[in-house]
Amino acid sequence: MEGLLVTETLIVIMVTVATVVAIVVRRFRLPYTVSLVLVGLFLSAQRFAAIEVELTPELILAIFVPPLIFEAAFHLDLGLLRENLTPILVLAVPGVLAATLLIAGLVSLGTGLSFSTAVVFGALIAATDPVAVVQLARRLGVPQRLAVAIEGESLFNDGTAIVIFQIALTAALTGVFRPVAGVVDFLTISLGGLAIGGALGWAGAQLVARVDDRLIITTLTTLLAYGAYLVAEQFHFSGVLAVVAAGLLSGNVGLAHAAPTTKIMLFNLWDFLAFLANSLLFLLVGTSVDLAELWISVGPIAVAVISVLLARGAVIYGLSWLAHVGKGTPHIPLEWRHVLFWGGLRGAISLALALSLPGDLPQRDTLLSMTFGVMLFTLLIQGSTIQFLLRRLGLTERPPHRVEQEEKLARLFTARAGLDRLQRLHREGLITDEMWGGLREDYRQAQQQLIREINDLFTEHPELERELLLQARREALQAERGALGDALRRGLLAEDVYEELSTDIDYRLEALDVIEANIQEGWTGKED
Amino acid sequence: MGRVVCATRGGEASRRTQQRAIDLAKERDADLVFMCVVDPEFAEHTDEVLEQALRDELIRLGRSLLCIAQARAEEQGVEAETVVRCGPVAENLKTYLEESDAELLVIGTPAKERTTEVLGPENVEELADAIEKSTDVEVIVVS
Repeated sequence: MEGLLVTETLIVIMVTVATVVAIVVRRFRLPYTVSLVLVGLFLSAQRFAAIEVELTPELILAIFVPPLIFEAAFHLDLGLLRENLTPILVLAVPGVLAATLLIAGLVSLGTGLSFSTAVVFGALIAATDPVAVVQLARRLGVPQRLAVAIEGESLFNDGTAIVIFQIALTAALTGVFRPVAGVVDFLTISLGGLAIGGALGWAGAQLVARVDDRLIITTLTTLLAYGAYLVAEQFHFSGVLAVVAAGLLSGNVGLAHAAPTTKIMLFNLWDFLAFLANSLLFLLVGTSVDLAELWISVGPIAVAVISVLLARGAVIYGLSWLAHVGKGTPHIPLEWRHVLFWGGLRGAISLALALSLPGDLPQRDTLLSMTFGVMLFTLLIQGSTIQFLLRRLGLTERPPHRVEQEEKLARLFTARAGLDRLQRLHREGLITDEMWGGLREDYRQAQQQLIREINDLFTEHPELERELLLQARREALQAERGALGDALRRGLLAEDVYEELSTDIDYRLEALDVIEANIQEGWTGKED
Repeated sequence: MGRVVCATRGGEASRRTQQRAIDLAKERDADLVFMCVVDPEFAEHTDEVLEQALRDELIRLGRSLLCIAQARAEEQGVEAETVVRCGPVAENLKTYLEESDAELLVIGTPAKERTTEVLGPENVEELADAIEKSTDVEVIVVS
């Protein structure tokens, strides 16, 4: 009982720290995950005993990773993934293999580690981390296809990295390297994981289609995330790939049959679970780092960082041509390659693999320090500077007319607030009638001018007006939903009437999403 | 008194199209009708309830856009009616033009560089030709 309370207290403290970080970070430009790592580092340096958790590979892989990967795969559009499958697979399979060997060669040369040990490091550090990378892609608001490429690569390259890691580790420990058996293992572990995850995801999708109960469906997806991982690992297949397949199928096939109310609940639940797992994981990553120990290995860490960057560069710029062999247009524009290169963050998966290294592996501590060093470099340096790169490349810039619209609407909004305030001052007798009259006229003219300018903008870009109408309708529907909830709480409505009306609103909200997506694809631009 | 029908859906050229229709209605001293045809064809593979919600929301969006156009015309001293129809665009347009005994249809077309528009300039031109051939209505395409 006491142990349970200690664990509960620990979780409450960590969630409190993460929440405070999340609130504070809203005022700064620093990414949330980077801030969590920094706070973790600070707490570790202060020897803050309240958060002393041993970060084991099992804790990372079996507890934190499944919900994070499931949530990412659950949101990923299968159609878009299919369209970008070739570049994703090129980067996730030959890309990881090439990066492993390049890193191994450079690290072996730079640090004097044996090549077989360096290959183990190359494998565990080669794959970009889905957790860190997915967060990055979402936060930055990059073009959708680029986000899919980034997320897809990071979700699928773990399978390759984990298998290469296992083969390399066996070779380093036994001195025996069997390439054919390695390829067979790779295929078995990867395809086995995908098959198990796919089968469970498909079964889950069928149940979702038949069970019209959002609580059961929500529970089912939670079971899928952890169940797919555990079942695949039980059969010695890739648990990570099983979760990816299960998430993709339940998110795409399963959700196609779910009612909008269920979808809203599922998305909210998975957003919350991912936020929680992400917060705790990155906080613990920070607290696990001993900066004093890292400083001792600063030389090998520097070599590792340079090797990882060079290998990533070689893969991204060198192998991308494979993705569009035989086709006229390049699949990965040069600007996107810069983003893929600098956005290749390493995190939880690399850390879990490094922590799982057996004690009798030569130079284990050096490999651990190098992993922590590379992870910190990519999370702190690359993670906090990539937004500048994106801005420089013009990938996150909004068209000037959208910025202008926001600016003018904001001015109109603030002018109305100012006028309301003046009216109150006048009512309370704090300004004279003449002053109120003069100020009101000035505000009225300013508002009319703004309305004229907004109208001119809508004449040039009527799509802005259409989008604003959709947005306004969405807000109105959400307010209607809120009012329904109030009416239910006040006993003005029976539960069944509430259910019926709120489902209708959810359908309408979904309809607006469909309309918006089709406007973007040009459906409603048929004739003006 | 003749009748000018302005087909509009809030697309790229809609404001220009509406303004042209207002000017023409004034010039010809004709009645002005803003018309919107929503076609929820893209929703046909979704479930029935969602399809109905989509149809309703498209109609409401269309009605809102037409009310904005109507208010704009009134500001310029032109009274205008609004009509929303649901279904295939060309058929609905032709039917309404015949029913209302219209003399002129004003329709907009996206600019040539707007490749995202499903019905590009050529398609609108084709539609305009087809309407002119099958009815007595004059068609003006605004780009």
